[in-house]
Amino acid sequence: MTTPDLILETRSLRRRFVTRKPLLGPPVEVRAVDGVDLRIRRGETFAIVGESGCGKSTLARMLVRLIEPSEGTVLFENRNITGLRGEEMRAMRRDLQFIFQDPFASLNPRMTVGALIEEPLRAHGLGGPDERRARVAELLERVGLLPQHADRYPHEFSGGQRQRIGIARALACAPKLVIADEPVSALDVSIQAQVVNLLQDLKDEFALTLIIIAHDLAVIRHMADRVGVMYLGQLVEVADTDTLFTHPRHPYTEALISAIPVPRVGVKPPAHGLQGEPPNPIAPPAGCRFHPRCPYATELCRSTPPPLTRLAAGASVACHHAPDLSLQGLNDTGTGRSPAAERRFALYRAMREQREGQTLPVPPEPEI
Amino acid sequence: MVSGAHMTESTPLLQVTDLSIRFAGVPGNLVDGVSLTLNAGETLCVVGESGCGKSLTALALMGLLPMPPARRMSGQAIFEGQDLFDMPLEALKDIRGNRMAMIFQEPMTSLNPAIKVGEQIAEAVRRHKGVNREQARARALEMLRRVRIPAPEKRLDEYPHQMSGGMRQRAMIAMALANDPALLIADEPTTALDVTVQAQVLDLMRTLQRETNAALIMITHDLGVVAEMADTVVVMYAGRIVEAGPVRKVFEDPQHPYTIGLMSSMPDLGPRGGRLVTIPGVVPPADAMPEGCRFAARCPFAGADCAAAPPLRDLGDRHRVACWRAPLEFGAPDLAAHPAAQGAAS
Ligand SMILES: Nc1ncnc2c1ncn2[C@@H]1O[C@H](COP(=O)(O)OP(=O)(O)OP(=O)(O)O)[C@@H](O)[C@H]1O
Ligand SMILES: Nc1ncnc2c1ncn2[C@@H]1O[C@H](COP(=O)(O)OP(=O)(O)O)[C@@H](O)[C@H]1O
Ligand code: SF4
Ligand code: SF4
Ligand SMILES: [Mg+2]
Ligand SMILES: [Mg+2]
Repeated sequence: MTTPDLILETRSLRRRFVTRKPLLGPPVEVRAVDGVDLRIRRGETFAIVGESGCGKSTLARMLVRLIEPSEGTVLFENRNITGLRGEEMRAMRRDLQFIFQDPFASLNPRMTVGALIEEPLRAHGLGGPDERRARVAELLERVGLLPQHADRYPHEFSGGQRQRIGIARALACAPKLVIADEPVSALDVSIQAQVVNLLQDLKDEFALTLIIIAHDLAVIRHMADRVGVMYLGQLVEVADTDTLFTHPRHPYTEALISAIPVPRVGVKPPAHGLQGEPPNPIAPPAGCRFHPRCPYATELCRSTPPPLTRLAAGASVACHHAPDLSLQGLNDTGTGRSPAAERRFALYRAMREQREGQTLPVPPEPEI
Repeated sequence: MVSGAHMTESTPLLQVTDLSIRFAGVPGNLVDGVSLTLNAGETLCVVGESGCGKSLTALALMGLLPMPPARRMSGQAIFEGQDLFDMPLEALKDIRGNRMAMIFQEPMTSLNPAIKVGEQIAEAVRRHKGVNREQARARALEMLRRVRIPAPEKRLDEYPHQMSGGMRQRAMIAMALANDPALLIADEPTTALDVTVQAQVLDLMRTLQRETNAALIMITHDLGVVAEMADTVVVMYAGRIVEAGPVRKVFEDPQHPYTIGLMSSMPDLGPRGGRLVTIPGVVPPADAMPEGCRFAARCPFAGADCAAAPPLRDLGDRHRVACWRAPLEFGAPDLAAHPAAQGAAS
């Protein structure tokens, strides 16, 4: 067995935030990320899922040092980047890019789209003015916009188009790793699909490694090679995507999967959801953090935290009882569409291909 | 009390006919000729991308449209024997929050941040029922219990901001259901929630509906939610109904190119496939509603005849579609031989 080529690793990564400073006593802290060991393989799409507030964004931002860890290290291509400064840090930034959920908030409204996409090229001293302009035009076309859009401002674009601008900007310097925090969550279904396709095409074309955070588990099933499930600041399960969805090993993963509404009539009994609320991250439960909501919890779970344990290459779980549990995942056999629906889908696809050429490129959006 | 006595089995709870809404300064109707029927105890889901007129339709039924700038161009909405669009405001106020109620994506749309949750629910009860303070408070407590808010006695005296998002959503549902409405309209009630909390809220809505036989109109863009909740589905595009029918019909025999495009745009949770087959382009903005079939600019089947608006035809079994080419095998026959169609059909 060969060891996988890791592009990014974290070791015991932690981040605390002070939420309140009382007059007396110590400040109240939330442990947003509490000891995460990630191993991202070169070329894979790795997804991070978990409930709101479990620390996904905090983790993602630490990976590119948009925020600094309280403890632990981030290794990019075997090099500790936590302490990098100045020129070294800038060089590293070229290789690691970030795509935000709300592209509007991350794009300077006073800069033209062309300037926004050119900015990282200029910052890294890549190419002369003409080359850079050509590259901007090329990137705009590649993400399904038009070269003449370079002269417009972000507010003149729709949400989906702004996300394309954010993607073009992230790709400008040909990064090795792109981290996308909920890149399609704010978009409408059809626009979301266009951006999902775009991200997948670009990943292949630019030979990227992609880390994607999404709360839509269907999007993750579609895009990811492997998935890491987070609960209250910690990883509780890592597995390849198909295994995770069909044979979850952690009770929390099982609960997440059972809660997904499946877009087919009558294939799935309605889920009742996890009992209880996500607990307070300021005072996480003792023992296994999931125990107050876990239907399989025992005395051991209430007292002793389960370590993240390796099951197989690229798969781990943090549950005392994982070896004995037989958990329910998605049933892949019963998911077929009706023949009539399948026929219409095929016709639709065929007609689109016929009208737009065989490859179904991302269509440019109409002039606005 | 409202009618009921003279209503027979076959009288629908709500019958909307030809609802059209226009805004000042905008040339086309933003809701155009919408008709729908809903029986007691039934769930109707309205799907479509944002800007397709789903919320406007719901707000119109509740009498909550901002008029002006909005103007109702046509339409009737017979609810329990009365036309909601043709009654004095006072009469509508008696019905609203009582016989019909609405919940929103953002609970703070209906909850007042400055008033304790229990008081708000009690107030909603007192406004419509002749009960005293204690009785109203007891009802509020019962409702919080029914929406399964933990420690309801304590929560009665909490302010909305002291609750989590999922709990506020449930408090809003408790308030909407406090007077046992016959019709609940829910506009994207779970869109902002985690998938686990969404499952709880959907389960709750199903249970309460079973207990009270309320009808539910649920607006969503999640086809998974539709498949789990709906008896009937209405697909809206650019202000018009393009397809409607029993949920099984629409999912297993989808007819309209927009419905098909929506379904194929959503990753389907099956084993990993290739690229998603998308709908090109975007929903037309309010001030540029196209003539003819409004979907034509994005429709791979469009042809010259689509310059005229297709009527909503009934295909039988209450399955309706507005497309000149439905069913597509016959409307686009040359494609049945296309290699892509062959491949996928086998
Ligand atoms: N700057 C900050 N100051 C204080 N607390 C913070 C800060 N940033 C995050 N937190 C807290 O850290 C925890 C994790 O937050 P984070 O944004 O990483 O969650 P998330 O998993 O991305 O959630 P979502 O799905 O809602 O985006 C939360 O409890 C959050 O309130
Ligand atoms: N108050 C308003 N003033 C002007 N236009 C509006 C207003 N509310 C909605 N619209 C327009 O009406 C159309 C339908 O909106 P809406 O019903 O909110 O869509 P949906 O709920 O399907 O996302 C959109 O084009 C929207 O921009
Ligand atoms: S360790 Fe115990 S409480 Fe935690 S997930 Fe496993 S069974 Fe449940
Ligand atoms: S009427 Fe024409 S444009 Fe409209 S959906 Fe049907 S084929 Fe497409
Ligand atoms: Mg986040
Ligand atoms: Mg809406």
